[in-house]
Amino acid sequence: MSSNAIPSGRTLILALGNPLRGDDGVGAAVLDCLRGRDLPSEVDLVDGGTSGLELVLTMQGYARVIVIDAADMRLTPGEWRQFSLDDVLLHARDPHLSGTMHYAGLAEALVLAEALDQLPPEITVIGVQPATTDWEPGLTAPVQAALGSIADAVLMTAAAISQM
Amino acid sequence: MSRVHVDVHHLTRVEGHGNIVVDVRNGVLEKCELQIVETPRFFEPMVRGRTYKEVAHIVSRICGICSVGHSTAALRALEAALGIELTEQTILLRRLNMHGEMLDSHVLHTYMLIAPDLLGVQSVVPLAKSQPEVVLRALRMKKLAGEICRIISGRHTHPIAMVVGGFTHTPSEKDLLYLRKLLLDARADVDATVDLFASLELPAFERETEYIASHKDDEYCYIDGVIASSEGQTWLANDYRSVTNEYLLPYSTAKRARNLRESYMVGALARFNINFEQLHPKAKAAAERLGMKPPVINPYMITVAQVIEIVHCVEDALELVDQLLTKGVQWEDPVAPPYLSGTGVGVCDVPRGILFHEYTIEDGVVTGANCIIPTGQNLQNVELDMRALVPKIIDKPQPEITLALEMLVRAYDPCISCSTHLLDVEFK
Repeated sequence: MSSNAIPSGRTLILALGNPLRGDDGVGAAVLDCLRGRDLPSEVDLVDGGTSGLELVLTMQGYARVIVIDAADMRLTPGEWRQFSLDDVLLHARDPHLSGTMHYAGLAEALVLAEALDQLPPEITVIGVQPATTDWEPGLTAPVQAALGSIADAVLMTAAAISQM
Repeated sequence: MSRVHVDVHHLTRVEGHGNIVVDVRNGVLEKCELQIVETPRFFEPMVRGRTYKEVAHIVSRICGICSVGHSTAALRALEAALGIELTEQTILLRRLNMHGEMLDSHVLHTYMLIAPDLLGVQSVVPLAKSQPEVVLRALRMKKLAGEICRIISGRHTHPIAMVVGGFTHTPSEKDLLYLRKLLLDARADVDATVDLFASLELPAFERETEYIASHKDDEYCYIDGVIASSEGQTWLANDYRSVTNEYLLPYSTAKRARNLRESYMVGALARFNINFEQLHPKAKAAAERLGMKPPVINPYMITVAQVIEIVHCVEDALELVDQLLTKGVQWEDPVAPPYLSGTGVGVCDVPRGILFHEYTIEDGVVTGANCIIPTGQNLQNVELDMRALVPKIIDKPQPEITLALEMLVRAYDPCISCSTHLLDVEFK
């Protein structure tokens, strides 16, 4: 049984994070921006929220994935970086998935997807430096101000990939 | 002097923090403890002073795996306290939601936490490399479980649409038809799960004990019911304290429980032993294929009982969806409480076993709360199993002894984070 029949060549724009925790909601906010724009027809928008290992299936079958998430990169709040998985070391809290399953997130899902040989061929991450991820809904001003430029970058990346 | 010393600090592939400490000197078992070192959670004082409407959403956070179970137990307690009678539709929807959570938890435990031991690998990562189809199947079944919970109660974890007296959202016919298709598609994965566990060998070890589960004569019971013991007695929900008899040990932050024997077991195997007759016929057929006939007194077989419940939950969920489709789901306002003061007990049999919530409400505000979680009830039984097991395997190499003990504790699927119950400490 195949649970995920994604037609070939599609791009997934995947927002991660919890909008109840300050700037961790940046991914969902960028998706909201993108919903108001012209998107290439082969692009799907998915709010992955605080998904764990099920991200393996969310990403399964896509040719390309663009992940938008808050990331602590020791930058100024609102600054963002676009990188591929080859450029960085994502610290999985539990790289062998041997402990509790409560903590699985993107890094752990990527470990499992790789072991399953199910990693999408291209994964681009747009990491946004949060000012706070405390328990309060809403983005801080510097992250809110960056939404437009992040959405532009996501669209440019999606368009660039689609012409490759 | 011969000495066997096992010290597993922070056992892996369980939820939360626990240690196994066993000391044998000259053939004498001197120490055999399952130490619970998780910090207490303080949920009961957290809900005191809150309105009854907030309780289910707060206590849902006791566990990210059993959030539907904690919410449902809390709602049943509050509804009992405030004199609310549920509609048939709400009862069907709550049962369906519980099946989603049962599937999610059992698939996680059987595939991600137990299968690595039985297939001789350290964790699910090497299993994904050697048998990717097994792990992908588990992920597909977890996705189905999450979809059931999302559609019925608004999201995968921490139900938002389940409230006192009913639901704030009802699934559409399209939603139910989508679930029906997912459930029908899942049958192949369920069959493959039974085949997989029929092919695996679990350790042979037996110890008689008492089994406790909720029970109804006409339904394999996960919500409400009487409290039933394998010793033949039953108790009403309100009398749960005379079953659990909680007490303390100095090396554990979680309370222990005992009833008619020194300890008792709750969970899938207890339910299987007590409620076998009420299982779906396809689950009974799976039990036969898996060589399970009650009473089963090997605690390692808890995992196999979970596999049988996976079959039951998928088949019963299909029947519930069909009933809802036939009757047609209508919007219903949640039933309003006729009065705002009272005390009530809620009983649910959640993935790890029977769960009790009790609340006292005065003028709509919580003044008393008590939650007794399955893992706490099982702890003493695990430790007595360890005491019985160690002498039988004492001549084996130490790594084998350690693995056998780790697998025994894991079999109970302990949720240590949930079981740490506030201790009342008085220094002299």
